[in-house]
Amino acid sequence: MVRLITHNLLACHVKGCNSNNFPLAFDGPQIEIREAEFNSDFLMGFFPKIEWSALVNASRQLGDQSLPEQQPDAENIDDALLKALHHVLLEIHVENGKMICPNCSHIYPISNGIPNMLLAEHEIA
Amino acid sequence: MPLKILIQFAQAHPDFRIPELLSVAQIYGFDIVVPPKPDVTRPFMTVEVQEEEHARLLAQRCILVKSVLELYASGPSYSHLHTLNRTQAHLWAPYKETPWKFMVTGYRQSVPKTRQREVVEGFSYMALEGRIDLTQPELELWCFEEYGPQDKAPLRPKYDRDGDFICVWFGRLIAKGTARPLIHKFDVKKRAYYGNTSMDAEMSLLMANQTLSAPGKLIYDPFAGTGSMLYTAAEFGAYVVGSDIDGRQMRGKERAPGVLRSAAQYGFAERIFDLFTFDVTWHPWRCGALFDAIVTDPPYGVRAGAKRLGRKQGVPLRDSITAMKDPSTYVPPTHPYELSTLAYDLVLLARFLLRPRGRLVFFLPTVNEEYAEVDVPQLEGMVVISNSLENFGAWGRRLITMVKTEVLDRGPPDLRVRNSEAGPQHVPAHKDFREKYFAGFNKPADTPS
Repeated sequence: MVRLITHNLLACHVKGCNSNNFPLAFDGPQIEIREAEFNSDFLMGFFPKIEWSALVNASRQLGDQSLPEQQPDAENIDDALLKALHHVLLEIHVENGKMICPNCSHIYPISNGIPNMLLAEHEIA
Repeated sequence: MPLKILIQFAQAHPDFRIPELLSVAQIYGFDIVVPPKPDVTRPFMTVEVQEEEHARLLAQRCILVKSVLELYASGPSYSHLHTLNRTQAHLWAPYKETPWKFMVTGYRQSVPKTRQREVVEGFSYMALEGRIDLTQPELELWCFEEYGPQDKAPLRPKYDRDGDFICVWFGRLIAKGTARPLIHKFDVKKRAYYGNTSMDAEMSLLMANQTLSAPGKLIYDPFAGTGSMLYTAAEFGAYVVGSDIDGRQMRGKERAPGVLRSAAQYGFAERIFDLFTFDVTWHPWRCGALFDAIVTDPPYGVRAGAKRLGRKQGVPLRDSITAMKDPSTYVPPTHPYELSTLAYDLVLLARFLLRPRGRLVFFLPTVNEEYAEVDVPQLEGMVVISNSLENFGAWGRRLITMVKTEVLDRGPPDLRVRNSEAGPQHVPAHKDFREKYFAGFNKPADTPS
């Protein structure tokens, strides 16, 4: 944790920060690879939600090259790609580091796998 | 082929039995017919399923089920029972040659051994020819004598009311309940990490069944605390996500977060999808329709402070960046989150975050004398399918299960602090629950009775 599938679902929620607030950029990420049980139904169920370029960029930033730049069609995902997707979405964990909003620069620190996403007083409506 | 089955329930949480049966039937995709108004003070209930395999599934997954039998006959006396049982020969005759065992048990009264033998002999017309096997029989015939509650007379001799049962039940054991022992596995006292708000094992397992947890699902607890609801949902195969406004609740005092240590103890650390510290009313999810279920015990404001980011109403927020000199030690101000607003907001949020047909399962504390059905937050697109009371006397808590019935994407709800004109108009029994709790649920002098 933080897994890349989760990172793909997080946006900055500071008040007024409504554009260019996704994806959050990693800063100084320390990663761990942990095996996860493969479940193709789960992966295909999430596939429509995934923002592909954000996912690919995040994975490249963490040193993984296995995903193609171009988003595949849901019908054309072969076993090899599904296995790669499984690895990138579920098995790469950012354990420590920071996530930074590209728009307002708010820093969300990650420590021991748990990100602190509380907002400061001046950042809520 | 439909079969009539007899379920022997544990005598705990009677209000939760039927919702659990229906949920488990839905998990495995089978039909079940339950009685419309069962007497839940009694430990037995007859239901109808289409196949024996479905009865086995109930025994494997329902926490409140002790055993499941194919019901052959029942009645207020043995003569009634035998008259009926003789007409059911088509059900038990196929077992004529099978190694068998006979059990005679009393509920609320033990049956003396001599009379047990008489009872068994009373069934001799069944003419079973298989050998008796007390250790590993293929056929177990069970006879339950159900006695009524003891009256308040002084202690009577042990067998004083022997034979005065209200009903006798007879059938073939299909399966003993194997889910109930999970209560021991999840015993909070044996857990690697727990706190004073941790939900007890039995209830967290019942909640997990209400979520329809199964492999491939994603289930979220937005008030995760020490993780009690996460473990039981994960036990049944789902991935679980937890968030809490107080990160210390999930972390504990050691370096490795407590929730992960407990999950590792149970053998499914890998199913903790992710954990977060955030205020769910200021959440970072970039879209809705993410979760198959949301399960939670929200803070009532009694043991755990129910709070959200911001300052008390009327106190202006600081708007300059000097409010946060050192981000690593900064603790944002919070203010109390009154329960009726919290409950309403939870349903609003669930409607956004749930996939269509997803379930919201949460506890709503209430003052029993004042409770009305309309206290449960009403929202278009969210339908209440069960409401089970755990009764503590003056107060109780109700496990509410709601289903998201709409597909519409309304976008994220606006949960900014509202004044009393907006939002729900009806004043529910759980409004200002914390104050009522600490006043011992006594009404103030000027309240009309």
